[in-house]
Amino acid sequence: MVFWAEAYLSALLRYGVYDSAGRHLGQLDDLVATPHNRFPEVTKIAIRPKRSKEVLYYPWALVRLASQEGIRLNINGAPMTPTAPDDTEVHLRRDLMDRQIVDVSGKRVVRIHDLKLGGVNGRVLLTHADVGSRGVLRRLGWEHFALGVCRLFQIKFRENLIAWEHLHMVPTEGQLVADKTRDALKRIHPADLADIVEELSAPDRAALLGSMDEELAADVMQEMDPVALVAAVNELDDEQASDLIDEMDPDAGADLLADLSEERQTTLLSLMEPEEAADVRKLLAYPEDSAGGLMTVEYVTVPQDVTARQALEIVRQQAREVTALYHVYVVDQAGVLKGALSLHELIVAEPEQSVRELMKSDVANVGLDTGQVDVARLVARYNLLAVPVVDERGHLEGIVTADDAIDAVIPTSLKKRIPKAFA
Amino acid sequence: MRLLSRMSQGRLRRLMTALAIIGPGVITANVDNDAGGIATYSLAGGNYGYAHLWALIPIGILLFVIQEMSARLGAVTGKGLADLIRERFGLKLTFWLLMGLLFTNLANTLGEFAGIASSADVLHMPRYLAVPVAAVIVWLVVTRANYATVEKVFLVACLFYVAYPISGLLTHPDWGEVTTSLVRPRWSAEPGYVTMLIGIVGTTIAPWMQFYQQAAVVDKGITIKDYRMTRVDVLVGCVVAVVVVFFIMVTCAATIHASGQHIDDAEGAAEALRPLAGEYCARLFAFGLLNASLFAACILPLATAYQICEGMGWERGVDRRFGEAPEFYTVYTLMVLVGAGLVMIPHAPLFGIMYYSQVINGIVLPIVLVLMLALINSKSIMGEHTNSRLGNALSWACVAAVSGLVTYLAVETVLSKGA
Repeated sequence: MVFWAEAYLSALLRYGVYDSAGRHLGQLDDLVATPHNRFPEVTKIAIRPKRSKEVLYYPWALVRLASQEGIRLNINGAPMTPTAPDDTEVHLRRDLMDRQIVDVSGKRVVRIHDLKLGGVNGRVLLTHADVGSRGVLRRLGWEHFALGVCRLFQIKFRENLIAWEHLHMVPTEGQLVADKTRDALKRIHPADLADIVEELSAPDRAALLGSMDEELAADVMQEMDPVALVAAVNELDDEQASDLIDEMDPDAGADLLADLSEERQTTLLSLMEPEEAADVRKLLAYPEDSAGGLMTVEYVTVPQDVTARQALEIVRQQAREVTALYHVYVVDQAGVLKGALSLHELIVAEPEQSVRELMKSDVANVGLDTGQVDVARLVARYNLLAVPVVDERGHLEGIVTADDAIDAVIPTSLKKRIPKAFA
Repeated sequence: MRLLSRMSQGRLRRLMTALAIIGPGVITANVDNDAGGIATYSLAGGNYGYAHLWALIPIGILLFVIQEMSARLGAVTGKGLADLIRERFGLKLTFWLLMGLLFTNLANTLGEFAGIASSADVLHMPRYLAVPVAAVIVWLVVTRANYATVEKVFLVACLFYVAYPISGLLTHPDWGEVTTSLVRPRWSAEPGYVTMLIGIVGTTIAPWMQFYQQAAVVDKGITIKDYRMTRVDVLVGCVVAVVVVFFIMVTCAATIHASGQHIDDAEGAAEALRPLAGEYCARLFAFGLLNASLFAACILPLATAYQICEGMGWERGVDRRFGEAPEFYTVYTLMVLVGAGLVMIPHAPLFGIMYYSQVINGIVLPIVLVLMLALINSKSIMGEHTNSRLGNALSWACVAAVSGLVTYLAVETVLSKGA
């Protein structure tokens, strides 16, 4: 088969298709490719015969020649049986052109203006997506003119192509996600992934989150803008949503649930893991902008009258359940906060020293209804990594980590700017 | 005890949620009453009396149907209108549609700045100072200010429209005649009458409003689950808008048309408020016009830039630098500059500009509607939320009616020029 070295789909779609005798079979309607390789390979050709609404598919192997005069199939007038594309294959024009797609290397969402195909060893591969202005002009038929003008003024009009291996389609409902996509997504920081997810539409967001590993999805959800997150969660089914909220930190989970409708809240809480649900329920009781609303219930406590060595054992056991360990809090039998010590101090201490000696008994803390601004002030003033939250009688109820405390204060002004809007 | 406070918080939260959702529909319908709107409705009432009143109820119903479609499209797909058109109809059609939208919105923006210039004239401020200052203010508001505050300020200033019903009631119009005109359709083959009809449709159901409504719904994160509230929001907005229009037209008819005067400019239109404000009617009118124009001037260029970049797949957002989103800033700045610039041409017919920008809206409307109908009836896009038969029937009736009017007008114009 003779093929050009490289070509654009938009140009190809203008070609007519002929058989070996030169009879016109129809217009090229689409190309079908297998999506799972690094560069998808074209396997079928879709033809729309003249005056017919139906589209016929034939194996690409039948194509003998493709050039500006048209595409020639290697058959003679004898009737051929059309094949059907299977569900895992992707239609280049129908499913990819003009769609949004995730650019993993650029950590953003882009729109495909055109597709570039390349011929290698008789196979035709989808090599690049054209996301730049030249692609736009080519689709409009003005590329040559624009290039001519640029030549006149000696300006270089650069193409904006992204190699297909960096791109990942947003899975539609029920579609399986290729392993390579999952791996690629794992390499992006959750905060960047959150930006990508926010740029998609709500149903696409849900699809993408649903296709990621649950831990990664939970991390991403914790970095997302609350409005975008709620819209995405509204598109997930209850099972998926509750599984993801299970993976989230209880305070983030509580914030999300607080933004949902009450019946959805109840449904999801009932589907969650019992311990996770209990933690979240506890946090839901407090207003969002108070220490109680900001805090997490994941922290480590030790009693006063144990040795350093014993304390470390206790910490090791509890630490499995905790996301991040900053300090160890010392409480009495009633749960009243007595002091705190850092992990560093605990490790460096003599194994037989008592925790009561080692701990700092004057620990900066806040009440459950302390406002978020005051919490942030305290964190900033004493350079704390986390501040314990106590009730009226001094019982330790939770801790507010520094990132949450500051988060609550900084973006408020930014968030109120012209909305992401219109977009 | 905490649980109790949580419960009452629940009710409070629901109210807050409702207030947060209520917004797009009410805003959209009230930006309706911008400079172009005030001009068109004043001209209708002032120069034609009650002759166009009958069109208000059908137009009101159509407004609701169409805005609801926009909201539904946004809630189900989570995408903007330009986005959907791009994915469904491809780049070429989207490009030409967006060019058309750019032209229409530019005309509308021109109308807003004409409103600013006009009110400056009435308030005896130098036009050539007021317009550039306004352009700068618009640019600053968009790039620096707190949008929530801007929205609230405008909503409060919308109360100005209360002046119209009060003024209208003070003139004691013949309510019998008003009611008859409201229900009995009238037709006049005179081109001016037809143009006015198209203008009223165009200013009430402006194409840019469908894009804006859908985008606002998407931006607020409204999905089909909380859609019922949104529908109420759209309904309330439409009803309020139509009521305001009704009163503007009746008041102008009762004061200006009845006394045989004719409106050519803002001063003429301001006469409608004389029963209420006497000597100060002109100043009152100018204030209202200035407010409406400024707010719309903030929204329109920005919305256009967002929608064009969305459809073409370009980077966008005021939080990006110029280098990151050059097309976005170019379109936006262009619209503000051209809009403000053209208005400053000496002897520019300000009121005429405000009026004809709305007629252009009316002409473009059927095109946008046809595309929306194709989208909203597609099961693959909307699932089970496609249009009802009634919705489709009404929308197609609108397309047919407006296209018919436009064709009639075009033919008339050509023929009369030929003769």
